[in-house]
Amino acid sequence: MPDEEVLEEGVLNPIKPEIQDPLLKSLLAEDDSLLAEAPIELEQQAPLPDPIDEVDCVVIGTGAGGAPLLARLAMAGLKVVALEAGPRRDPTKDYATDEKAQHFLFWNDERLSAGQTPVAFGNNNSGTGVGGSTLHYTAYTPRAHRGDLSLFTDFGKGVDWPFGIEELEPYYEELEHFLGISGPTPYPWDAKRRKGYPLAPLPLNGAALLMQKACAGMGIKTSPAANAALSARYYQEGIGWREACTNRGFCQAGCNRGAKASMDVTFLPLAEAYGAEIRADAFVTEIERDAKGRVTAVVYTQHGEQKRQRCRHLFLCAGAVETPRLLMLNELALTSGQVGKNFMAHPGMQVWGTFDEDIRPYKGIPGGLISEDTHRPSDADFAGGYLLQSIGVMPVTFASQMARKRKLWGQPLRDYMRSYNHTAGINILGDCLPHENNFLELATEKDARGLPKPRVHFTAQENEQRMNAHAEKLMRQIWEAAGARDIWAFERYAHTIGTARMGLSGDDAVVNPDGRAFDVPNLYICDNSVFPSALSVNPALTIMALSLRTADKFLEAQQRLDG
Amino acid sequence: MASPHYPEGTVRALLQTDLVTEATRAALLPRLDTSPYTPQFFDGATYELLRAVVARIYPQPERVEPIELAPVVDKRLAVGDSDGWRYDAMPPDREAYRLGLGGINQAAQALFQQPFVQLPESQQDQVMEAVANGTAPGENWQQLPIDRFFEELLAELAEDYYSHPLAQEEIGYVGMADVPGWTHIEPNQLEPREPEAVK
Repeated sequence: MPDEEVLEEGVLNPIKPEIQDPLLKSLLAEDDSLLAEAPIELEQQAPLPDPIDEVDCVVIGTGAGGAPLLARLAMAGLKVVALEAGPRRDPTKDYATDEKAQHFLFWNDERLSAGQTPVAFGNNNSGTGVGGSTLHYTAYTPRAHRGDLSLFTDFGKGVDWPFGIEELEPYYEELEHFLGISGPTPYPWDAKRRKGYPLAPLPLNGAALLMQKACAGMGIKTSPAANAALSARYYQEGIGWREACTNRGFCQAGCNRGAKASMDVTFLPLAEAYGAEIRADAFVTEIERDAKGRVTAVVYTQHGEQKRQRCRHLFLCAGAVETPRLLMLNELALTSGQVGKNFMAHPGMQVWGTFDEDIRPYKGIPGGLISEDTHRPSDADFAGGYLLQSIGVMPVTFASQMARKRKLWGQPLRDYMRSYNHTAGINILGDCLPHENNFLELATEKDARGLPKPRVHFTAQENEQRMNAHAEKLMRQIWEAAGARDIWAFERYAHTIGTARMGLSGDDAVVNPDGRAFDVPNLYICDNSVFPSALSVNPALTIMALSLRTADKFLEAQQRLDG
Repeated sequence: MASPHYPEGTVRALLQTDLVTEATRAALLPRLDTSPYTPQFFDGATYELLRAVVARIYPQPERVEPIELAPVVDKRLAVGDSDGWRYDAMPPDREAYRLGLGGINQAAQALFQQPFVQLPESQQDQVMEAVANGTAPGENWQQLPIDRFFEELLAELAEDYYSHPLAQEEIGYVGMADVPGWTHIEPNQLEPREPEAVK
C-alpha cells in the first residue's frame, strides 16, 4: 500500500473515494482543511451503479468476527454478502515459507502509534485478506475464564462484561469441535468442562520442553496448550478433509496446509457452501442511511471501481482499529461518545535466552506449552492476571524485535544472531484495563486512499506495568532454571481490543449485549472492538464465540419480528 | 560458549532441491541476484551515505560480495511501502531517512570535520556509536527523535538482512526447506537437511 507521498507526487489514484453521503459531505465541507479534497457538487459525480438487489445482510470483514456469523446467517437461509478489504489467495500455491514474501498477509496501510508505549501494528496484530487476522494468528485458542468477565466485581477495576461465561461456553464447545482444536483433556485449569478437545495436543518443541522441565522443578503446573491446528486429519462439513499440522512453525505468517483453523479453511467455505458470497479486494468507505438513520447500503471500492451494495442489515466486523475508523468516518453510532475509546492491548512481555541445547526455534507449533497458574497469582499487586506460554520464532521476526530492544549493531549483532538456533522464549498474555488515555482518533494526515489515518494512543498504565514486572521476574526465574544465559526481556503489546464497547446502556456503550448498535437498529458490530475488557487470554476464540452468539441473537430477533 | 558457525553453501544447495516449494523458491532466489543497482529514491550521494552506514551496522569483511541492503531500502521508499505503522513522533519514512542520514553526516562533520563516507571505518563507528547513544551532534536531530530513528533503522535492516538466503545460512536457518514438514522437533534432534554447526 503506497503511503501518502505517492499522492503528493502526482500519481493518479484510481481508488480515491468520493463522499456519497450528504450528511458526511456537509460535515467534511465545514472543515476548511478538507474542503479541497471533498468535492461538493453532486452533479459532477458519476452515478454509482445502484443494483435493485438488496441482500439481507452485508458483513464487513472476514476474520474471526465476520466469518462465523457469515456462515451462520447463510445456513439460516439468508442472502448474505461479505466484503473483505484484502485479497483472496490460495495458501497451498501462493504462500511462501518466507516472512518477507508473506507481507501481503498484513494490514499495511500506515497507522500512527502514539502514547508512552506505542503499539506496533502490521505483522504484530493486524491481518488482511479473505480470512482476516486469522490468516496470521498463532492458532492459540484458550477459553476465557469466568473471572475475566467480572474484573470490576472482583477487583473494583475495569468493567464487567454484560453477561457471564455461561453465555460463551456453548459456543466455545461448538467452536473447539468445529475447528478441530488440539488440546489437553481434561483441561488442567477448568476440569469441569462438559466436553474435551476433539484432538490430542500437538507435540512439544524445544522451547516447550525446556519450559516444561523448568516449571516442574519450580512447582508451576504446565500443560500442552490448546491450539487451533490439527494434530490429526479432520473432516469438516462444507469443507472436507483438512490435513494435519507438519510442525512448520510458521502459523504467524500463514499456514500453507490448511492445518491451522484460519477462517479461509473453516467458516468461509462453509458459508459459501450455503450460498454466501465473498467479495475480496472490497474496501468499504461509506455506510449510507435513510432519514430514520437505518443503514441502507455500503459503498466500497474494488479494483479501482466504486460500487454500492444495498442491505437490510449490516454487520461491521473490521477489527478494533478499522471498525471505529469506519464509524468515525461515517459519523455513525457515535452518541455514546465511546467509539474509539478504551483501546486495549494485551501485555505480551517476552523473555528470551540462549541455551546449550540445539533448539531450532522454527520447528513445531510456536505456542506449545501453557501455564495458567498465573491467572490469579497469590502475590499479585495488580488486578487480573496472565497466562504463560513457550514461544517459537521465525528468524526475521526475532532479528527485528531483538534489534529494537538490544540495539546491537556491527559484529556483536551478527555474532548474537548466529545463536538463533540456540534461542528459546517464553511470554505472557495478560489482561489490560480500559483507560481514558488510551484511545483511537482520526489524524489529519491522509493515507493513499485519501482517508485520515487512525492514530492510536496507548500507554501501559500502573496495572499493566505491575503485571509486566511480576511476569518478567517469574519468566527470568524459569529461564534461569532451564539453563538459559544472556537472558533479555522484550516489552510488547499484542492484539487490538476495545474502541466500540459492549454494555447495558447506550449512555456508555456502543453496542448492546447482543452486539446491536444502540444508535442504529440494523447495525451489528462483532469483533474485538466490542470487548468491554481485554481478557487474560488470546482473543480469537472469544471473538468467534461472540460472532456465533451475535448471529443467533440476530436470528432470534428476526424470528420474533416475523412471528 | 561462542556463537556457532554453519557451513557455507547449504541454503544455496537446498534451494535447488525439491525440498523447497515453488512459492518459497520464487521468494528467495531473486534475493541472490547481485547485479548492479541504480537508486530510484535517493540521490547518488545520499545513497552512498546509506551504503556506508549499512556497512557499519552489517560489516561483512569475510564476503567478496557483501549482502547489499541499501537497494532494498531504496526500493521500498521509492514504492512508498509501509509495514502498517509508524511512531507518531516520527515524520513519514521518506522524510525520516532524509533527516536521519543528513543527521549522521552532520555528526561526522562536527566530530571529524569530514563527510561520513570519507571517514575511516574506526571513525565511522564512533559516529554510529554517538547515534546509538543518542548523543550525535547535528541540527537535524532537533526535528527527528534520534532514538526512534536508530531503532527503526536497525529493525528495517535486520528484516532485510535476515531475509537474505545467505544470512539465513549464516545463522543455520533452513525453514525454507518446507516441503516435508518436521518430525524431529525436540532439543538436539536434527533432520538431515538441518546443517550442524562447524566444530
